[in-house]
Amino acid sequence: MAGAAAALVVLVVLPLASLFVSSVRGEGGFSFEHFQRVAERRLYYQALINSLVLGAWTGLFSLLIGLPLAWAVARTNTPGQGFLKLTASLSYLTPPFLTAIAYVDLFGPNSGLLNKFVRDTLDLPFLVFNIFSMSGLVLVTVLHTFPFVYLLAVSALESVDASYEESAQILGAGTWRTALQITAPLVAPAVLSGTLLAFVNAIALFGSQAIIGIPGRIYTLPTRIYALFDYPPQHGLAAALSLVFVAITVLALVLQRAYLARRSYVILGGKGSRPQRIDLGRWRWAVFGFGVLVFIVAIAAPYFALITTSLVKSVGLSFFDNFTLVHYRFVLFEYDVTQRAIVNSLLLASVAATLAVLIGGIIGWIDLRTTAWGRKLLDYISLVPLGLPGIVMAVALIQFWLATPFPLYGTLLILLLAYVARYIPLGVRAANAALRQVDGSLEESARILGASWGMTVRRITFPLIRSGLLAGWVLVFVPAIQELSASILLFSSSSITVAVAVYNLYETGYVEPVAALAIINMIIIALAVWFADAFGRAAGPRPSTMQ
Amino acid sequence: MARIQIKGLTKRYVEGAMAAIHDLNLEIADNRFVTLLGPSGCGKTTTLRLIAGFVTPDAGTIAVDGVVLSSADAVVPPERRGMGMVFQNYAVWPHKTVFENIAFGLEARRTPSSEIAGRVARMLELVGLAGFERRLPSELSGGQQQRVALARSLVVEPGILLLDEPLSNLDAKLRERMRSELKELQRRTGVTFVYVTHDQAEALALSDEIAVIEGGVLQQFGPPRQVYARPANRGVADFMGQINFLPTRILAVSGETARVVVDGGLELAVHLPAGAPAELATGSEVDLAVRPENVRLAESGPHERPGALTGRIADVTFLGNANEYVATVAGGTRLRVQTHPSQQFAVGDSVTVEFDPTECTIFKPAGR
Ligand SMILES: Nc1ncnc2c1ncn2[C@@H]1O[C@H](COP(=O)(O)OP(=O)(O)OP(=O)(O)O)[C@@H](O)[C@H]1O
Ligand SMILES: [Mg+2]
Repeated sequence: MAGAAAALVVLVVLPLASLFVSSVRGEGGFSFEHFQRVAERRLYYQALINSLVLGAWTGLFSLLIGLPLAWAVARTNTPGQGFLKLTASLSYLTPPFLTAIAYVDLFGPNSGLLNKFVRDTLDLPFLVFNIFSMSGLVLVTVLHTFPFVYLLAVSALESVDASYEESAQILGAGTWRTALQITAPLVAPAVLSGTLLAFVNAIALFGSQAIIGIPGRIYTLPTRIYALFDYPPQHGLAAALSLVFVAITVLALVLQRAYLARRSYVILGGKGSRPQRIDLGRWRWAVFGFGVLVFIVAIAAPYFALITTSLVKSVGLSFFDNFTLVHYRFVLFEYDVTQRAIVNSLLLASVAATLAVLIGGIIGWIDLRTTAWGRKLLDYISLVPLGLPGIVMAVALIQFWLATPFPLYGTLLILLLAYVARYIPLGVRAANAALRQVDGSLEESARILGASWGMTVRRITFPLIRSGLLAGWVLVFVPAIQELSASILLFSSSSITVAVAVYNLYETGYVEPVAALAIINMIIIALAVWFADAFGRAAGPRPSTMQ
Repeated sequence: MARIQIKGLTKRYVEGAMAAIHDLNLEIADNRFVTLLGPSGCGKTTTLRLIAGFVTPDAGTIAVDGVVLSSADAVVPPERRGMGMVFQNYAVWPHKTVFENIAFGLEARRTPSSEIAGRVARMLELVGLAGFERRLPSELSGGQQQRVALARSLVVEPGILLLDEPLSNLDAKLRERMRSELKELQRRTGVTFVYVTHDQAEALALSDEIAVIEGGVLQQFGPPRQVYARPANRGVADFMGQINFLPTRILAVSGETARVVVDGGLELAVHLPAGAPAELATGSEVDLAVRPENVRLAESGPHERPGALTGRIADVTFLGNANEYVATVAGGTRLRVQTHPSQQFAVGDSVTVEFDPTECTIFKPAGR
């Protein structure tokens, strides 16, 4: 209890407090001068406006892509359901800065592969698309955020009890009328809440906004805050801008929670029958086609660009004469920076995932299984990082640790703190979900039979929640191994991570090694997911022989 | 094997709210099958969990064989009480086989493993699950899981077994069978059973003694026959099964009996409930309580006693083993009556209504 509370204080409460303090500390003591500058200087409020515009468009398009796909998967006889699900998962797993880099390869105004193709080969120059624009930024971001809408919508659509719809049909409502008047209102809260999550995530992504926004002169909150750390760093201003950022994020999340709270009545139908699927007739191929299009844009095109780039001697020459593995050899065996980055990222992600799940498990257990004083507060504080975009977390940690005598800045440890703090909510949620599955009476039965507290946790609780915790571990590991938004402010040459290395190499123009490193990053993610899947199954309850 | 003494036990979950259990005093003798009976939310589970040590009382004590285990200041933890408990959902651990489930308590007590196998096997024999050792709970029916839960609690030879509505998840047939098995098991093992249910038929069938609780307060504690036939108050009477209430006036009180006159003119001498309150004095308006099976109907005719209660049949239901009639008597009171199926009346028939006064009780009227 005390340990978990202390961890939260060091990881979240104190850094956030020092963010508040430095935002109101001016030249001569307490002042609002930083906030005033944010409100007056176009440089800063324009970043805010750009972030909001980006978030709004991204939310809208996430809805337009995620909802139809969810509906197709959950409620229709559209073919290729597995393929559609895979498209959504891969889109979610792919780091957005990789998509951004791939799209620059394809649609860079002058040298983009597809742009060159339409301009030079097809001779249709008006079709050239400049990726370095708000539309380009929205496109790249949406490819990562539409799964938020998709996932929430699918689970809502699947949990609507068939009897709700059947009651409408028996009263004479047709398929479409039922869909519009019964199903749509029932799932609307979940869909809206997914859209808001897409918004929150979209505006927090540093990588894509730096790679696409900066060359297009579209500064957003993360990139503007980042620029404030150029020499000489302007801590007060960064803190003020960060707090503005936090305010939007928290506002959106509060709305999102409110919507999600209304969602609960969807589940009320309980263990009712599965809803029937709508037969789309020939239209099902059109819906399937839409899914294929999303797959091409979100997965096939960027991966094609990255894989081919990573395997050729130099971009621009024909693929087959040009095939080579030197870039992989370079990043894996020759270049010490990328080697160190890979080791660091693996280490950081594994340790951060373990700690986040461990702390999450303790907090979840205290919340659900004890009557300890302040357990609700503990639970709330553990959710605070959800409202802190990565770069804000970094700003807060820098300001807190610089004010202490511990030289943490630039070490792996401060990165670890940032990761654990950022992903504690995921750990808590996973542990909570797992513990909720385990009825308290299972533990009480052990106690009354004479088992001590420790024996009960070891023999009953832990085995029962192990696979849930493992799922939580991967849930943290995957974003941690591709973390860029906080790392970009916290790294040093010795504590560099894969995502930062990708970004730096890209900035310096090493297109091919970047692609190779990007693919390696994806392979690590894929291995982690696969491992969790395989191991999770083995660790779960033994399969029944009755089936 | 164990005697439980509960004194002044009070538990309030939320500050200022009604107590979940209030000032409970209960003596449970050794080797008994005692049932805590009452409507949903009356505090049965709370009492059981207090006995188990999962809940700390706000006031009062729980002692077993004279040793205080629970008080507001100190609670012996569940694992050191040597009790067994069967939960409503059985709480059979899904990740352990039947054998591992049952062996757990022995392992916790550091029983040598050579001994464990034998004791588990004997226990499985006892609950009729021999041969199921290696099954997982997911491969068992509800009734079988319930027996695993029982075996798991009994194998450690507890002095006291606590059971929280263990039969409520089973279908009617199985419930009936498990009922007799439970009673049989209790007799054979000599363990003190504290059994929670809200099903009065179950309580009557199983118990040596029943504690009726309502709103957190103990209403009556006694053997099934007494609780059924001599309910301590109107609430208990109502809860223990169907009952009729007839407006009545007290003519005279002498010791344990009272002369009363039922609306419509019938005069009876009835038994007063133990510790009858002062409201039941000469001249006061009361309700006469009589169960449907204790009312007799007769065709009304010329040989009718003067002052007999008469009525008219308003409804008939054939129950198989009985006929149930609703008779409207003087003052419009609808009286529920059960008769032997061979005694037949038709709707509209005039009838004479008679009671055995020894099966009647009087209570003060509801809401006054
Ligand atoms: N953990 C708790 N926190 C707050 N109130 C509780 C808690 N457990 C029970 N209560 C309240 O205490 C009262 C008694 O609850 P209890 O569970 O003992 O009832 P019960 O007789 O077992 O009911 P049922 O037959 O429905 O199981 C109820 O009003 C209930 O709402
Ligand atoms: Mg209960």
